[in-house]
Amino acid sequence: MSTRIGKGEFVAMMAGAIERVRNGSPFLSELDSACGDGDHGLTMRRAMGLLEKALAEKEEESLSALIDRLAWTLLGVDGGATGPLFGSFFMGMAEGVGGQNELDCAAFASAFEAGLASVQRQTKAQVGDKTMIDALVPAVKALRAGADAGKTLADSLRDATEAAWNGAASTKNLTARFGKAKFAAERTLGHQDPGATSVAMIFEGFCEGIIKTA
Amino acid sequence: MKMKKFINNPETLVQELLEGYVLAYPHKVKLAGNNLVVRAVPKGLGKVGIVTLGGSGHEPGLSGFVGMGMLDVSVPGEIFAAPGSPRCLEAIKLADHGAGVLFVVLNHPGDVLSANITMELAKKQGLNVKHILTQEDIASGPREKPEERRGLVGFLPVYKVAGAAAEEGQSLDEVKAIAERLALNMRTLSVAARTATHPSTGLELSPLGEDEMEIGAGQHGESSSGRMKLKGADETAEIMLNRLLEDLEVRSGEELLVIVNGMGSTTLMELFIIFRRVSQLLAARGIRLARSLAGEYITAQEQAGFQLFIARMDRELLRLWDAPCDTPYFVVR
Repeated sequence: MSTRIGKGEFVAMMAGAIERVRNGSPFLSELDSACGDGDHGLTMRRAMGLLEKALAEKEEESLSALIDRLAWTLLGVDGGATGPLFGSFFMGMAEGVGGQNELDCAAFASAFEAGLASVQRQTKAQVGDKTMIDALVPAVKALRAGADAGKTLADSLRDATEAAWNGAASTKNLTARFGKAKFAAERTLGHQDPGATSVAMIFEGFCEGIIKTA
Repeated sequence: MKMKKFINNPETLVQELLEGYVLAYPHKVKLAGNNLVVRAVPKGLGKVGIVTLGGSGHEPGLSGFVGMGMLDVSVPGEIFAAPGSPRCLEAIKLADHGAGVLFVVLNHPGDVLSANITMELAKKQGLNVKHILTQEDIASGPREKPEERRGLVGFLPVYKVAGAAAEEGQSLDEVKAIAERLALNMRTLSVAARTATHPSTGLELSPLGEDEMEIGAGQHGESSSGRMKLKGADETAEIMLNRLLEDLEVRSGEELLVIVNGMGSTTLMELFIIFRRVSQLLAARGIRLARSLAGEYITAQEQAGFQLFIARMDRELLRLWDAPCDTPYFVVR
C-alpha cells in the first residue's frame, strides 16, 4: 500500500470516488426529492462524467495543476451549489498542494484543510446547518487526527469516511438553513442531507481507490 | 397532472430556447463562446461593460436586456439554476473593452455563490471587474439585513442606468456608484396566486391552495409566510404599496419609478387594473409617479401573480433612465 500520494494515487482515488458516487446517485436523488428539487443525483452523475473525461486527458502536469484542472471542471457543472462548492474544495486543495508532487499523510491532511478553508470562504454554513459541511468538517478533522497519530493513509481515509458518514447521518435530525432547502426547512427534518451524503460517498470512494493501489 | 408545455426534450430545453431567442432578434443579439448572450454589435472601445448571470426559465429576464444601453453579456444558467464560474469569467473577458466590467448579480444563493467564486478567479487573473448585488425584495429579510433580501425585477432599472452611464463613457467606479445609488433606493414586493412548475421535471414549486395567494412569494414561490385568502386587485395593490412605501420611507413630493411586472400567467389586463390603483394611491399621498412600466420583464413559467417595484428617483437617475437603449425586450428612443 502506498504511503505517499502522488499523481497515480490521486487518480486512483478519484476513480474510486467517481464509481462510488455513480452507484449512489439514485439514492442521492431520492434524498433530494424529500427536501430539494430532486436533481442532486443527476447533477453529481453529470459532475462525475465530466471528471472522468478530464482525468482521461492525460497531460504532462504537476499534481496541483491536475487538481486545479479538476476544480475548473467542477466549477463548470451547472445546477445549484454542488459544482461551485466541490470546485472550490478542489481549488483550495490545489493551492494547498502547491509545488509538492508527493504528499505524506500530514501534507495530505493539510491539502484537505486548504480545500475545506476554500469552501468555507464561499458559504457561511457551519456544522449543524444541514449541508455538506456536516460531513466535510469531521472527515477533514479525522484525516488530521490520523496524520498526527502516525496512521497510514488508508487508515486515515477509513477514519475520515466513517466520520463523514456519521456527519451525514447527523443531518437527519437537523432542519435546513441554507440553500433552496431552507424554504422547506421543517419538511427537511428526518431526511438526510444529500450534499453531506455525497461527501461521505466521495470519501468512501477515495478510500476504496487508495486501497486498490496496494 | 401532466404538464402542458410546448417543449421537446427537457435535456436540451435551455439550448433550444437560447437558439430560438437569438434567431428571433438577429440584429440585436447573438450567442458567443459557451452559450453566452452578447450584443450583435459590440460596444465601442473604452466603455465599461455590463455583465449579468442568472438561471433560465424566467424569460425575457435576464438575457432579454442585452443590447445597446443595457447589458453587454448575459450568462444564462440551466432552468432556475445559476451558471458556473468559468462561463461568467468568459463573459467578463468578452465584455471588457478596456474600461473594465460591472458584474450585476441578483441576490439569490446560487447566483451569489457562483459570482463570488468568479470574482475570486477574476482577481487572480488580474481582470478589472467590480460587482453589485441587487437585493430589494422586502419580504425575504428585514431592512437591517439586506444580505437576506433577494433580487427581483429591480435588476431591470439597474441594468438601464448602469448601461446608460457606461454608454456615456463614465468610468467603472462612476457606473458602479450610480447603479448602487439606484439599488439602495429601490424596493420590490411580490405576490403569487398560483406557483410555477419546473419545466424539466414537471414538479410544482410550493403549491398554493385554490383560494389562496401569497404576498412575498419571491421569484419561484420559495417562502411561505405571507399566505392569505385571495383578495381583489385594489386591496392587494394597497397592501403591497403601503408596505413598500413604508420600507423605503417615501415622503410626499418625492418622485418614483413604478414597475408592475407580471410573473407569467397573470394577464396584462390584471396588471393595468393593479397599476390604476397604485397610481391613485400615490396621487392621494402626494407622491409623484415620475416614470412607469407595466408588463412582463421577469417571469417564472406559468406562475400567476406580479411584482410591484418602486424606486426613488433623482434628476441624474431619471436622465439615465430616459437615455436611449435598444434591446429585444426594452427599447427607449
